[in-house]
Amino acid sequence: MASQRRKRGENLIIRYLILGAWALFCLMPVLWFLSIGLRPRVEIITPQPIYWPTFSLDAWHMIWEDWPMAKYLRNSILAIFGSVLIDLVLGIPAAYSLARYQYRGRDDIAFYILSTRMMAPAIVAIPIFFLFRNAGLLDTIWALMLIYAAINLSFVTWIIRSYMLDIPKELEDAARTDGASDLRILWEIIIPAILPGIITASVIAMIFAINEFLFTLLIASTPNAYTMSVALANFTGGSDGVIYNAIALVAFLAFVPVFLVVVAIQKHLSRGLTMGAVKGG
Amino acid sequence: MARIELNGIQKRWGEVWGVRDVNIDIADEEFLVLLGPSGCGKTTTMRMIAGLEEPTEGDIVMDGETMNDIDPRDRDVAMVFQGYALYPNMTIYENIRFPLRMRGVPRAEHDAHVRRAAGLVEMADYLDRKPSALSGGQRQRAALARAIVRQPQVFLMDEPLSNLDAKLRQAMRVQIKHIQRELKITTVYVTHDQIEAMTLADRIVIMQSGLIQQIGTPDEIYNDPANTFVANFIGSPPMNLIEGEVSGGVFTAPGVKVPGMPAHVSGKVTLGVRPEDCHVTEGDIDLTGEVYGVEPTGDVTYLTLQAGEKLFEIKADRTYRAPLGATENVRFDAERIFLFDGETGERLRRE
Repeated sequence: MASQRRKRGENLIIRYLILGAWALFCLMPVLWFLSIGLRPRVEIITPQPIYWPTFSLDAWHMIWEDWPMAKYLRNSILAIFGSVLIDLVLGIPAAYSLARYQYRGRDDIAFYILSTRMMAPAIVAIPIFFLFRNAGLLDTIWALMLIYAAINLSFVTWIIRSYMLDIPKELEDAARTDGASDLRILWEIIIPAILPGIITASVIAMIFAINEFLFTLLIASTPNAYTMSVALANFTGGSDGVIYNAIALVAFLAFVPVFLVVVAIQKHLSRGLTMGAVKGG
Repeated sequence: MARIELNGIQKRWGEVWGVRDVNIDIADEEFLVLLGPSGCGKTTTMRMIAGLEEPTEGDIVMDGETMNDIDPRDRDVAMVFQGYALYPNMTIYENIRFPLRMRGVPRAEHDAHVRRAAGLVEMADYLDRKPSALSGGQRQRAALARAIVRQPQVFLMDEPLSNLDAKLRQAMRVQIKHIQRELKITTVYVTHDQIEAMTLADRIVIMQSGLIQQIGTPDEIYNDPANTFVANFIGSPPMNLIEGEVSGGVFTAPGVKVPGMPAHVSGKVTLGVRPEDCHVTEGDIDLTGEVYGVEPTGDVTYLTLQAGEKLFEIKADRTYRAPLGATENVRFDAERIFLFDGETGERLRRE
């Protein structure tokens, strides 16, 4: 018994060591960004290795004082949450229809929806530019919301649909004989039951949206609609050259909101990712 | 108060038949059990009564009103499902209240209704739990409370006890029958368990491959089976069915010789006799075989005899014992012998 117990303890330590090392490895880029962002510019571009880095808030002051970073951050957050909201409002009923109703061509329609993800975004870049220009939406957050929502809608629909397929049909039959209408069933039975799936889809949509660059650059021409991802590009050119520490700090700031959201809903997310998104998606 | 008529019901999915031709007239306050093996169409029939499936042909009539195009929520039926189908995000209280909310029962009356229904199934102490915190039997009782809470016209129960263990099943069986008698609500109950059917039903409908084999009271089904399928399906252990030949009023099969057959019967015939109607004897002999197995259960001993290729089940006295391989003689109750057509399996009745 004693030897067995000790062995289990050793195993646990080894497990923690391996997992800890892996976590550190995964976090490396983030820590690296933070460390670059908080050092003076000169120190970053020097070819000699530095063993004792100097702490500096140069980049921090620069991005907030010389650039309207608060506005970029606000644009990012508004556009992202707005787009996820649009996705859910449209995607949940669509998914329900595709998961539960019987009609001709249902599975084909589901596939067409997904196929919109398969083309290269650049193909539609020019038409979309004209579309938004004619609608008078260029350089607004509304346009960003719409375009992010459009990009993510297909897979949001698919993930949610795959969760809905996992719900026992009996549950809906019960609600129906209890006297519930279709919308009631969706609202009171289905949505609570697939909440982890909705959260998973939302988080993935958020991550895509915050990283979106091409269309944002196309639509946003002034700080009116610039987001964090486009703001990053501001530091790569111009008379000042590439400002690495500012880039690193902005990238880190773009990472923080998503990170906080994920930490807050981690319990649902981990359940969601294993529960249906991978299996049925 | 509801009388249900099923007139010429058929259900087909493309080439696949669910229900071929079902005609049943269910009386008000009747407890009707649909019994049959899986895939016989009994659940489909029930789902059509609920409105969850539409019949391909035929009419479903409740109290004179054709219900074919009526939505489930506009039929006054309540259903209990095999998997309980409790709403996982709601407490038991909210689960039981759900039909009241959906059917527009005045809010002020909800609490009294919920507590009364929960009391009937002895779930009053669990109202604030979530379904996941309950055992199988408690979940089933909660599902039952949800069905009875608004006093529907019709109860539909789809194998409600099949996920419970044997002891609990028996307790719940009694409870279901008691509640049904108390509330006087027309009930259709689906099961593949013949004991459940026999104990609960006013009338049993035995189905196979989408066709009704026989409709009758439990006594009629047991004492007067219409064909070999019904004879074999009801009774535990099932009826001995012996394929043989009748000539000159004598039935013969390997090890079996039964005189006194009706004059109009001859040729290939299947003789049926229940294990409880066979008696180990020294006198008049109908069957001779070797002891294949002896299974004492306490109140009765099951004896299996082998004659030719075939095994026969006999319910012997509880004190009966015999060594394997011993030869035993058996007499059948002459009154309790059933004859079936050797080809079709249909009952050959005495004239």
